[in-house]
Amino acid sequence: MSDKNCETGHAEGAVIKVDNVSYDYRSGEHVSRGVRGVSLVVNRGEFVVLLGHNGSGKSTLAKLLNGFVVPDEGTVTVEGIDTRDNERIYELRAKVGMVFQNADNQMVASVIENDIAFGPENLGVPREEIEKRITWALDAVNMSEHRKRSPNKLSGGQKQRIAIAAILAMYPDVLILDESTAMLDPKGRAEIMETIQRLNKEKGLTVILITHYMDEAIAADKIFVMNEGRVIAEGTPREVFSATDKIAEAKLELPVASKISAELRRAGLDIPFALTDEELTEGLCGLK
Amino acid sequence: MRDITLGQYYPADSFTHKLDPRVKLVLVIAFIVMVFLVKNLIAYAAVILCVVLGTLISRIPISKVLKSIKTIIFLVLFTAVLNLLFYKGDTVLWSWWRISVSLEGILFSIKMALRLILLVMGTTLLTYTTTPTGLTDGMESLMYPLKLIKVPTHDIAVIMSIALRFIPILSEEVDKIMMAQKARGASFDTGGIVKRAKALLPVLIPLFVSAFRRADELALALDARCYNATPNRTRYQIMKPTYRDLIAVAGTAAFIVLVVALNMNFWGAYVPSESLWWLFS
Ligand SMILES: Nc1ncnc2c1ncn2[C@@H]1O[C@H](COP(=O)(O)OP(=O)(O)OP(=O)(O)O)[C@@H](O)[C@H]1O
Ligand SMILES: [Mg+2]
Repeated sequence: MSDKNCETGHAEGAVIKVDNVSYDYRSGEHVSRGVRGVSLVVNRGEFVVLLGHNGSGKSTLAKLLNGFVVPDEGTVTVEGIDTRDNERIYELRAKVGMVFQNADNQMVASVIENDIAFGPENLGVPREEIEKRITWALDAVNMSEHRKRSPNKLSGGQKQRIAIAAILAMYPDVLILDESTAMLDPKGRAEIMETIQRLNKEKGLTVILITHYMDEAIAADKIFVMNEGRVIAEGTPREVFSATDKIAEAKLELPVASKISAELRRAGLDIPFALTDEELTEGLCGLK
Repeated sequence: MRDITLGQYYPADSFTHKLDPRVKLVLVIAFIVMVFLVKNLIAYAAVILCVVLGTLISRIPISKVLKSIKTIIFLVLFTAVLNLLFYKGDTVLWSWWRISVSLEGILFSIKMALRLILLVMGTTLLTYTTTPTGLTDGMESLMYPLKLIKVPTHDIAVIMSIALRFIPILSEEVDKIMMAQKARGASFDTGGIVKRAKALLPVLIPLFVSAFRRADELALALDARCYNATPNRTRYQIMKPTYRDLIAVAGTAAFIVLVVALNMNFWGAYVPSESLWWLFS
């Protein structure tokens, strides 16, 4: 991430390429569908949101991206590294950092700075450099003053920020958050959204956010909608959410503003499709 | 359930906090051996002095120390009563059936109680003044000889570190589950032992389920952070003994000599007067 140009962002080419990938979970005779025929590209500096109902394959796709599982068919490459390449698997995992749902289950040490040091230590980063990375990562998530404290007394949002910092300290190119906001209260969710949006804008970090909350998807550069292991829609939030049939097919809800505007349009009112509350207000005010 | 003090670091800026964890570990082991070797009350007095001084130097509040004793107070009282009633002494003060209370029995149960309390105070002194990372790093470093014979000392250290981190989390979870079960009418503090043990079953099962779920995610999280990526792992926390460690070792050694001397009546040089026999037996 250090060598990245923050401003130019989007046009810098692909970080992650997923090419016609299928993966099934097998245990003995039993096979359960993971993902089927997924192809997608994530560009450097993008804020990507992955939507889909329970069991649609989001986590499986995430696990494919950092080599936790390798495709049955097709290939996944991260900056040219194939996830099947066992020699470079740790290099790949450091590039594609993953944060999970429950922050408590991701911390290994009882003092925050030691927990953040864990990743760089595993990578063999020299001590002085680890020191710097801890300072940088804690600053990036606005948690510097907690450095020497125990994670146990923190709020859910703060814990999750520490979990993010612990991944940032490995200097990843891509940050994947697998429902990392699911267990948080609205305040904690807002904290995390603010943090990752800032990381994405200011540090040029590529973010892949997996979520059930549609309002978190509105800010995305690109959305992928998954259903039964396949990507059934992709595009900007406006493109994706205005394709209401696809959203219905994926058994998802529209963001509140979009839902209201869609209902109003169906009721015969002439207002534009709205993504945010502001757009909805504008649309309503524009009514004669 | 919340009073699990083991693995609860008490942050402060004291002499003891700054010691090398390895030195502290070795000193605590020496302390434990010392406590087990002590025979007479006057030597116990010296050990008590040692622990009290150690606690004062470490700037740990008395309330914290008392809290750690509270967790074992039941065990202490239980063994003390048993010793009191069943110790076969010569100077019998009172007896009934097979039970007898003797002067020697009283002394013995006091000593046993002191021994338990001192052991806990001494070892919690270590856990209060050392971060869990310090502890596990220290242990890993002390286990170095084992590493030479291919024992995975680093994995053991990581396991200990995770265990220490999850003790408070799981104990909090036990609280929550117990409250949830109480809300459904379960009762944990009435009835006989069997009934109480049965009442705990609906607590243990959800606890295990949740622990396994946590373990699943933790395993992924360890992989996500490149655990075992390279054998040339580096270390953020440095351990370097300083002059402080020298002072601590010298101080503890002096105490050990004192305790041993008192314990053996200065190797027989000092013969206590008749009225003080109880201090020296
Ligand atoms: N470890 C596993 N073993 C077997 N099958 C699995 C495993 N993990 C997931 N699956 C199956 O793969 C499918 C996709 O699951 P996945 O976890 O990717 O969905 P998801 O979109 O992340 O859902 P959620 O929103 O619930 O997290 C599901 O049908 C699930 O049953
Ligand atoms: Mg999932």
